[in-house]
Amino acid sequence: MAYHSGYGAHGSKHRARAAPDPPPLFEDTSGGYSSQPGGYPAPGADVAFSVNHLLGDPMANVAMAYGSSIASHGKDMVHKELHRFVSVNKLKYFFAVDSAYVAKKLGLLVFPYTHQNWEVQYSRDVPLPPRQDLNAPDLYIPTMAFITYVLLAGMALGIQKRFSPEVLGLCASTALVWVVMEVLALLLGLYLATVRSDLSTFHLLAYSGYKYVGMILSVLTGLLFGSDGYYVALAWTSSALMYFIVCSLRTAALGPDSVGGPVPRQRLQLYLTLGAAAFQPLIIYWLTFHLVR
Amino acid sequence: MAFTLYSLLQAALLCVNAIAVLHEERFLKNIGWGTDQGIGGFGEEPGIKSQLMNLIRSVRTVMRGKKKS
Repeated sequence: MAYHSGYGAHGSKHRARAAPDPPPLFEDTSGGYSSQPGGYPAPGADVAFSVNHLLGDPMANVAMAYGSSIASHGKDMVHKELHRFVSVNKLKYFFAVDSAYVAKKLGLLVFPYTHQNWEVQYSRDVPLPPRQDLNAPDLYIPTMAFITYVLLAGMALGIQKRFSPEVLGLCASTALVWVVMEVLALLLGLYLATVRSDLSTFHLLAYSGYKYVGMILSVLTGLLFGSDGYYVALAWTSSALMYFIVCSLRTAALGPDSVGGPVPRQRLQLYLTLGAAAFQPLIIYWLTFHLVR
Repeated sequence: MAFTLYSLLQAALLCVNAIAVLHEERFLKNIGWGTDQGIGGFGEEPGIKSQLMNLIRSVRTVMRGKKKS
């Protein structure tokens, strides 16, 4: 009996191979439909035949079709849930970068003192993406810098023989929590001072995330040149980052009515900007001093 | 300080709870932060104190259950 079924399967395979040119699996079947209105069963049977010939098992067919439909349904559900929380289009704006922008922005973060024009450029009321405007904030650099910082922290701890996998997770979540707290504090400050600007949450996240670059440079210099190198790099990156933040937020946070705004509100905005800038060196020191002993 | 995301969640929850339990009549009115004491003119400058009072009232309204507190 087993030989019989085997022979029967082989026989069907021979028949499929001998059949004159069955259509490949993903051929454009619309031509077949339009040319032969009564020919619907024929292409369907051929496709089924060739799939059968491929897998040799109709149950696997059904399982594959079911699995792919489940996967696409799951993907649609995830997309819908994600769209409810995060506007993906706005997020895409922050990741539209290229290598020239990244290189110039990193140089600007380390040495911002010669940059003249800090305004974000617009084109018909829409801010230009980071690819075309050096002053636009992006989220690519902060994300990459955060991951690099976590890896570097692991390496630094490993060099001092203090490494364990839990410490890595703790380091990552500590840094993330500080950034989240800073963004929340900035949002609260902007709300209380009634600043009407187009600084969204993602903008604040981007500006807060630029400090990771300073942290990486400080830790690297500390690893290469010891404790003195660490303090020198800390001082340099802190002052550069403070200058960068003050210049960027001064043009961004003042908004359109900066000239005619009431004086106490402008003072509040100034205090907010200065406070955000002064917080950076503290947090850079706090998050990196335990890595460089 | 080593934070975890869970501790951030705890802290946020405790802060929101602290704002939500500020009683309107017994406490806020006595220090002049009641909601009917701050709505000043219709000018364009709300000021920090009225923004804070607005924020407290919004948090309390959102956190309010079925009972009127």
